[in-house]
Amino acid sequence: MKRIQVLGPGCPKCARLAEVAEAAAKAAGVEYTLEKVTDINRITGFGVMMTPALVIDGEVKTVGKVPSAEEIKAMLA
Amino acid sequence: MAECCGSSRPKQAASSCCGGGGKNVLLYACSGGANVAEIADRAARRLMAEGKGTMFCLAGLGADIQGMVQTARDADLNLVLDGCPMDCAKKIFQRHGITNYTQAKVTDLGIEKVKGVRATDEQVAAAADAARAAIAKALMA
Ligand code: SF4
Repeated sequence: MKRIQVLGPGCPKCARLAEVAEAAAKAAGVEYTLEKVTDINRITGFGVMMTPALVIDGEVKTVGKVPSAEEIKAMLA
Repeated sequence: MAECCGSSRPKQAASSCCGGGGKNVLLYACSGGANVAEIADRAARRLMAEGKGTMFCLAGLGADIQGMVQTARDADLNLVLDGCPMDCAKKIFQRHGITNYTQAKVTDLGIEKVKGVRATDEQVAAAADAARAAIAKALMA
């Protein structure tokens, strides 16, 4: 089970990252949970200041950008 | 309105959050105990106040905080502002294999590292000038 977290207070780019991450997880055929972390204190607790950020299984994978579904699929492998 | 798109966060962070066209420039000063480190620290803070970038915690990189390391990796540019030829900030970047940085060094400006001496406003202004120039050059490259 992959634990995907999208860090961001809810701007359009954050929503886009959540969509792409979900599509990538479905395409990869992995079981996953997706959580949108919007609380700024929790976000900074990851050491992240630029959003959106993508966290997989507790590891910050990307910061301040929306990777492609292919890139996220590779991160989920 | 989402918090990042409001006015409560620095302009640089807000622009990255909302997909604005600005470059994500992060500012790291060695911020050590010497006068030249104080100059580096104050120059970085001045640049942040000007909107040239967002100052971020070098100590977090030194402490291997994973999200902070990834933040530096994913920035468009990191300005590394060291006080002296010990290059503490630059060495932290090198240790993490982060290459998207440009460095400015206070002692390169002819400012001497002296114990027990405070930074002057003129020295901070000179370091800020050098840092601005380093950022401009790196973004042009
Ligand atoms: S670079 Fe020089 S001034 Fe800065 S922390 Fe290291 S030893 Fe101190």
